[in-house]
Amino acid sequence: MIKIKGTADSMMRCIISEGMPAEELPAALGDIRLRGQRILRGAEVILDFGARKLDERLVSRILTDFVWPSEVRVVAWITYDAESQDNMKRAGFSTSEPVPATARAKLPGTAPSLVLERSLRSGQRVEHSGDVIIDGHVNDGAEVLSTGNITVLGRLNGLVHAGCEGDEGTIVIARSMEALQVRIGGRIGSLERGAQWWGKMVTVRVDDGSVLIDYWPALK
Amino acid sequence: MDSHVIVVTSGKGGVGKTTTTANLAAALARMGKKVVAIDGDVGLRNLDVIMGLENRIVYTLIDAIDGACRLRQALIKDKRLENLFMIPTAQSKTKDSVSAEQMVAVCDELRADFDYIIVDSPAGIEAGFKNAAAGVDEALVVTTPEVSAVRDADRIIGLLESMEKSPIRLIVNRIRPHMMEKGDMLGVADVLDILAIDLIGMVPEDESVVKSANAGEPLTISSDSPAARAFKNIAARLVGDNIPFMPVDSTSGNGNLFGRLKRVFGL
Ligand SMILES: Nc1ncnc2c1ncn2[C@@H]1O[C@H](COP(=O)(O)OP(=O)(O)O)[C@@H](O)[C@H]1O
Ligand SMILES: [Mg+2]
Repeated sequence: MIKIKGTADSMMRCIISEGMPAEELPAALGDIRLRGQRILRGAEVILDFGARKLDERLVSRILTDFVWPSEVRVVAWITYDAESQDNMKRAGFSTSEPVPATARAKLPGTAPSLVLERSLRSGQRVEHSGDVIIDGHVNDGAEVLSTGNITVLGRLNGLVHAGCEGDEGTIVIARSMEALQVRIGGRIGSLERGAQWWGKMVTVRVDDGSVLIDYWPALK
Repeated sequence: MDSHVIVVTSGKGGVGKTTTTANLAAALARMGKKVVAIDGDVGLRNLDVIMGLENRIVYTLIDAIDGACRLRQALIKDKRLENLFMIPTAQSKTKDSVSAEQMVAVCDELRADFDYIIVDSPAGIEAGFKNAAAGVDEALVVTTPEVSAVRDADRIIGLLESMEKSPIRLIVNRIRPHMMEKGDMLGVADVLDILAIDLIGMVPEDESVVKSANAGEPLTISSDSPAARAFKNIAARLVGDNIPFMPVDSTSGNGNLFGRLKRVFGL
């Protein structure tokens, strides 16, 4: 199934369900093209694939069957699969959420928070210009990179990097801290398995140049 | 025929895929299902050895794909169990000598004749896994309770999900009784918590597995060892029987066990 949503910045977001077989995908997009020819022409579109892997064959079919004939402008190809992200970037496609003008006016360079209602598995990655809230676990081998703050409502096993463009005023919050490393801005904090914070709810921040971890709520 | 076409895979190598394939194939055949086990791990070639059929090989999967023989000529019929067949692979070939399209065609041709088609595959991170799994609908992911095996299994589950395989079910192999949560070992409840897919079986560490591999006779043909019973239970769950799970408390580490138990029993 493909859902289409309008965004605040009058872009269109096509949410392509992960369960849809790859062979059916170009035809389904083609169908949208036929039904929405007038609206689509010149429109700015975000293609949101969830954790789907994007290979060359699928991307070129989407280009030839949907993007080129409908004359849309794809501003972002969103996938959480880290390998696909790297391939797409290398091929010159944008893989990050566009920053709406409304947000840009308020806080330069910052997009609205990204709320992800899922767990990230090993090999999956989320990158976002703005805060990220993961409503799930971040498993060992998964990555979250955010220019802002990161909140993990589940277990944090993987790698998170808050303030990944250098902002050391950002924080990481995890419901259950089980990661060996947390990055904030240019700093790296490391933890030992079984340390006192292990498995606890914590906040991590930079204070006076060093990475500090604390229970939440903080012990007085 | 309403066949089940299932790949047996893992994140990491050496966790028990081939053992699982051989034992489930034999157990299902004993239950009266017509079963073929395919060695999809091209180049490694050991399913035929574990099943004790290596001296009966005339043609292989690769011969059938190359057109050197017909697919049914590559089928070896087991002499111990009426309904059990296997298709061996070639040792001399590389992992990319079978394409995805060819595997789809092989599996589809076998659907007409078999209830269960079980494909033993390379570990998911290796080349050749995607092709081996191309023709299947369902997946069984095998892992041991080690941290590194579980992390690699997690990655492969993501890959299987993106390949739209369903259901994807988990087998935790080589569980030691009273396993301590120490170092790099996890309890079964923790493995389930991380991987978040349905558990279909837990197989204990059992030296009879190694003996049966050496003897070329899957345990489920005639043994009643702990691992044999575990594989028979998995086979029964595959055909839809409601077999209760053994309690996981002896295999679990610390943590919120009570909350997690629900998941293990509630299948
Ligand atoms: N439950 C078990 N208990 C003891 N040994 C096992 C068990 N499962 C597998 N093994 C042994 O582990 C090794 C690897 O198993 P195998 O099935 O060949 O793994 P894979 O196909 O994933 O590479 C073999 O020597 C096998 O006999
Ligand atoms: Mg093997």
